[in-house]
Amino acid sequence: MKGGGERSGAVFPVLAAALLGALALSAATGPVSISPRAAFDAIFRGTDDTPARVLLSLRLPRALLGALVGGALASSGVAFQALLRNPLADPYILGVSGGAAVGALTVALFLSADASPLLPLCAFGGAALSALAVFLLARRRAGISPERLILMGVVVGAFLNAVIMLMVTLAPPGKIPGALYWLMGDLGQGTPHRVAVLFPYVALGTVFLYLLSRGLDMLLLGDHAAFQAGLSVERVKTATYLTASLLAGSVVAVSGLIGFVGLIVPHGARVLVGSGHRRLLPAAFLLGGAFLVLSDTLARAASPAGELPVGAVTALAGAPFFLYLLRRNGGRS
Amino acid sequence: MSGRGRIDAVRRFLPGFLPVVALLASVIDRPAFAADRFPLALKDDRGVTVRLAAPPHRIVSLAPSLTEIVFLLGREGSLVGVTRFCNVPPAASRLPKIGGVSDPDVERIVALSPDLVLCTTDGNPRDKVRAVEEMGIPCFAVAPQDLEAVFTAIERLGVLLGALDRGRAEAGSLRRRARLARPSSLDADRPSVLFIVSTAPIIAAGEGTFMDELVRLSGGRNAAARFSGRYPRLSVEEMVAARPDVIFVAGMAGVERFPPEVTRWKEIPAFRDGAVITLDGDLVTRPGPRLVTALERVSAALAEWRAGAASRPKAPGAGAGGKR
Repeated sequence: MKGGGERSGAVFPVLAAALLGALALSAATGPVSISPRAAFDAIFRGTDDTPARVLLSLRLPRALLGALVGGALASSGVAFQALLRNPLADPYILGVSGGAAVGALTVALFLSADASPLLPLCAFGGAALSALAVFLLARRRAGISPERLILMGVVVGAFLNAVIMLMVTLAPPGKIPGALYWLMGDLGQGTPHRVAVLFPYVALGTVFLYLLSRGLDMLLLGDHAAFQAGLSVERVKTATYLTASLLAGSVVAVSGLIGFVGLIVPHGARVLVGSGHRRLLPAAFLLGGAFLVLSDTLARAASPAGELPVGAVTALAGAPFFLYLLRRNGGRS
Repeated sequence: MSGRGRIDAVRRFLPGFLPVVALLASVIDRPAFAADRFPLALKDDRGVTVRLAAPPHRIVSLAPSLTEIVFLLGREGSLVGVTRFCNVPPAASRLPKIGGVSDPDVERIVALSPDLVLCTTDGNPRDKVRAVEEMGIPCFAVAPQDLEAVFTAIERLGVLLGALDRGRAEAGSLRRRARLARPSSLDADRPSVLFIVSTAPIIAAGEGTFMDELVRLSGGRNAAARFSGRYPRLSVEEMVAARPDVIFVAGMAGVERFPPEVTRWKEIPAFRDGAVITLDGDLVTRPGPRLVTALERVSAALAEWRAGAASRPKAPGAGAGGKR
């Protein structure tokens, strides 16, 4: 809404350029040296030497996965913050992460190690189930109140955390290290296949949220005012909640728990384009994508010990970035 | 080495060696190693002096490697408690359990009224060991960091358990086997070797691990040594860049096989040539007598690699950008 209009114009091209730049930087960073010429040949002439294969089946899928995951987390963060009218809401506060983690650990514990292709599916199932449980618990005849949603989310999340702790403690040695790494956030699973699997979820989810953006704007006024303005409040809330949960759940299923992006990037985007959702949602998607791709590049390049968990880097790099955005804009928004 | 050569070598080194030998003899032979009579006082790897009035006859072991050493010394009759991971030799798994390596149950240990607890500083929590000591039970800590230290630990435990001669003999024969297992010349082909402890995610054994030493002693180069940290986590691309000739998989984490999207990287010579060898995780991570068996296996595998090196193509698929 306000603040969006005057700072228009250059923001979206700049954000898109930032995302493309981050993708290029990510594709150029790694232990195997790839010359620009080799990269060009790999992409446009279909060469099949080692640099080409490293670029096409390792780095680009990973970079694209980072963009999808970052963008989706930021978008669902925007939606949850509007839905709950709470600046601290993010995909994880509503038990989505706990459900996904329990789903993933269940695969690791009860199926053989070869069942890892099932991991995203079961994590998604767990996330969807816990989101649905929170929703049903929070719903009353009078409708869904943000307070009850948060409360139920926290309660279900705490319960699922206890289940996670039990599973980790009781697991026979050596059963779940893969799942534990996944819980720390891992873009290393970025195969072309995974990108292809995730893409439709992210595309549908973000487009659907975008279509809801007018409703989200009105929700910010409060339920009563929104209703007065002719919005079918409950339907918008339900649609937003389910879409954002499924979006976050599908992302978590593939990449594990990457915190901070869904919480902080929406605020950064709001500083840039204001709080109107028609502009906020695309801006958050681009910013989140660029941010996560850059963080992952940093995680791979900066560590002398092999790979760092990207979740640690997003938090380390994200907080100063966020403070910079806030200070530059004098805390407006 | 022939008799002549040995004499020559002795003659060459004698002047410098003599004081060292004399010093070693005074240190080793008198206070610690010659004390085959009890009471004895022996300093452990924490620097704590453990005093025993008589050979212990109720021993609790807090690590699988220590259990193996007690059996090796022929003192298994005195073992009254072990961890749930102590499975070698099979008789060990029938002994009463006191919990795990990182979570030993102090109360169960005390209930067994041991007169000696064997522990390690790599894995046993310090406060648990302290709690046992506070109950008046002597704890002897062993923390070997390399192969030679394992042999020394066997000798010292021999002294401590009243099996001095057996300890010396076993350590001596292990030393001989280790010497025989090593290639005669280390400057021949030195394959680049990755020792993997988990395949999903890929975690390699870096510098400072026993696996690193096994690779070096066998005449290989540890491809993970350039990463800092003992167990660096690698991406597939880092494996492609490292181009390991041989990969050992020690299924420590329970994931022994690489996922298919990793093995299809024929740029990695080990995958191209089928030089991926699975080893028992217990064998290479326990600082006990079977580490020598691990050395023999690793060394044999690298010898086989050298034998086949001539017939192998010189890195096809490395492509224009592949730098050796």
